[in-house]
Amino acid sequence: MKATMQSLIKILLTMIFALLIGAIFILIIGENPLEAYVALVRGAFNGKLKIGTTLASFTPLLLTSCAFAVAAKAGAFNVGVEGEVFLGGITAAYIGINWTFLPKPILLVACFAGAIIVAALWAWIPAVLKVYYRVSEVCVTILMNSVALYITSYLVSGPMSAGVANAQSLPVTVNLTQFMKPSSVNTGLFVAIAVVVLVTLVLYKTTIGYKIRSVGTNPNFSEYVGISPKKSLIQAMMLSGALGGIAGCIEVLGVHGYFLNNFATGLGSNGMLASLIVKNNMVFAPFMAFFLAMLKSGAMGMQQSTGVPKSLVDTITAVFIIVATMELLFKFGNKKPRRGGGTPPGKTANADIETQTRTGVNLPSAKTTGTPTHNEGEVTT
Amino acid sequence: MNFSKIFNTSLIYATFRSATPIIYAALCAAITQQADILNIGTEGIMLTGAFAAVTVSYLTGSWILGVLTAMAAGFLMSMIMAVGHIRYKAEICAIGMGINMFAIAITKFLLNSVLGKSGTFSEPEIQAIPRVSLPFLTKVKFLNELFNNWCITEWFVIVLIIAIWFIFYKTVWGLRLRAVGQFPAAAQTAGINVNAMKYQAIAISGLIGGLAGAHLSLGYSKMFTENMTNARGFMGVAAMYFGSGHPILTAVGCLVFGFSDSIGARLQAYGVPSQLVLLMPYVVVIVTLAISMASKLAREKKRKSSLA
Repeated sequence: MKATMQSLIKILLTMIFALLIGAIFILIIGENPLEAYVALVRGAFNGKLKIGTTLASFTPLLLTSCAFAVAAKAGAFNVGVEGEVFLGGITAAYIGINWTFLPKPILLVACFAGAIIVAALWAWIPAVLKVYYRVSEVCVTILMNSVALYITSYLVSGPMSAGVANAQSLPVTVNLTQFMKPSSVNTGLFVAIAVVVLVTLVLYKTTIGYKIRSVGTNPNFSEYVGISPKKSLIQAMMLSGALGGIAGCIEVLGVHGYFLNNFATGLGSNGMLASLIVKNNMVFAPFMAFFLAMLKSGAMGMQQSTGVPKSLVDTITAVFIIVATMELLFKFGNKKPRRGGGTPPGKTANADIETQTRTGVNLPSAKTTGTPTHNEGEVTT
Repeated sequence: MNFSKIFNTSLIYATFRSATPIIYAALCAAITQQADILNIGTEGIMLTGAFAAVTVSYLTGSWILGVLTAMAAGFLMSMIMAVGHIRYKAEICAIGMGINMFAIAITKFLLNSVLGKSGTFSEPEIQAIPRVSLPFLTKVKFLNELFNNWCITEWFVIVLIIAIWFIFYKTVWGLRLRAVGQFPAAAQTAGINVNAMKYQAIAISGLIGGLAGAHLSLGYSKMFTENMTNARGFMGVAAMYFGSGHPILTAVGCLVFGFSDSIGARLQAYGVPSQLVLLMPYVVVIVTLAISMASKLAREKKRKSSLA
């Protein structure tokens, strides 16, 4: 519990620090920081429409942050969630437009299934390149984001175009119900929450999840006890991709109703931020995703009622992430590394990988927040 | 399709021209790679440099000041990364991505609030980096097409590649740098200050990254657009992997990417959809990277088996 508290305090301090730096920027351009922040919060929560908008932008972030965290648990740095969102979206749109011979409920399931399959396969490519050829997944996934963006952009301005001025597809024939009109929040929110809970359970309560976490913490050890690091990493990446695909599907079916060119820009990177800030902690990540969603949807209100451009919010989140990654900043007291103890998973925040003894069949439960190393089989020194 | 229209002498310069920003980025990544630091922040350093260069060149009317400010901005960004990574033990990929996000956000923010523009900033007052015209070349058409009117930074990149190669492999500093990268504990035992070497490597990388940005916004083009680096920094990192940190091999990798880029631009005239043209360099980068890493792995395996 103590460790949880400590990491919570650390996150809060980081948050305050980032907001302070943001305040300095606001002062520099000659505005009142307090007013701007109040406008930001009002922009996110004042009225049904605004709460709805915040929840609507929370939905994809919840999924993408979870997607990044899952891959990070296996030691992969999956920057490619954005591309997976795009491809999941376009697949859902394709099925939703063309497979009208299916009855509505089955069509809905088909859309999700298609999005999951395509996005998981897309994530499979960098995973395989990483485990078999040691190609940096960071590089490949970033570049694949651009490829995914251009592929979908080509499809909606060419073969799948609706023929209107904007590059977009025809409307899909099946929708997720929007329950807080006029905002675009939809039943996809509940789907997202259910999926994230499910994935967390898989990670912490099943053998597959255990293997994934153990590979992320120490691939050499995992291989020694008979877990294939390659297989687990590929599984984690595909799971991560599938989550991105679901996010894309929800955006297309629930928010827009058609595939809008460029719709997912920023969804993947913001999800990654949410997950990175809390050190890929599956329990904290949703809260951070909500905070970022609040900032994002409040930004417009802030820009309208004060003279602060909404790009300030991106600056604050970027400062947030930079400060949050610095492990030793805001570290209090000398925390002695515990040895070998059976710390329950999910409770320890700053696991010191090197100091863990890993002997015997009765493993200490894998510390949950192993930092993703970029080279497989190499524990950071 | 007319192949002589696509493959002609001007393609050589076009290739080099679109490769230059990537070469700078790749050199920026290569220096830190020799100290075993993956510089994912190349993209962000470059973007800040590009913005600083354009702004200062616009305000002062001097491209030299623009380039110098760009390098200073790159240095500043790299120092955030260095302090975070070395002093506060930030995970390098995470802080690198943080730097990239920060660069995108802060340039956008400053573009909106200081220059009062959104999206693109392109004014006639921006002083571009001048081009070198060599009058004696005009007599020979072939050489003229090939070498005349290069931008100063385009000539400079060749000098830089050779200089960095020399520093890496022929100087004490380079030897120490590589020692730090390959076996930090041994380097420390030999009396090398590992952290100081890492700081120096990241600082130089920041300067080059800033220069990369300045070249992109003042040499390659003459404007600033939001996120104008467009993954060039990451392509540079990919090229660095391709050449495993060796500056000359890395530059060759960049030329491959530049080639695919300029071929694509020409194919567009033949009705190939623009999106497919735009995605081509990325695919080429990924495929080249995969092939080069696979062959490297195979070589390593062979070497190991011949030892046994």
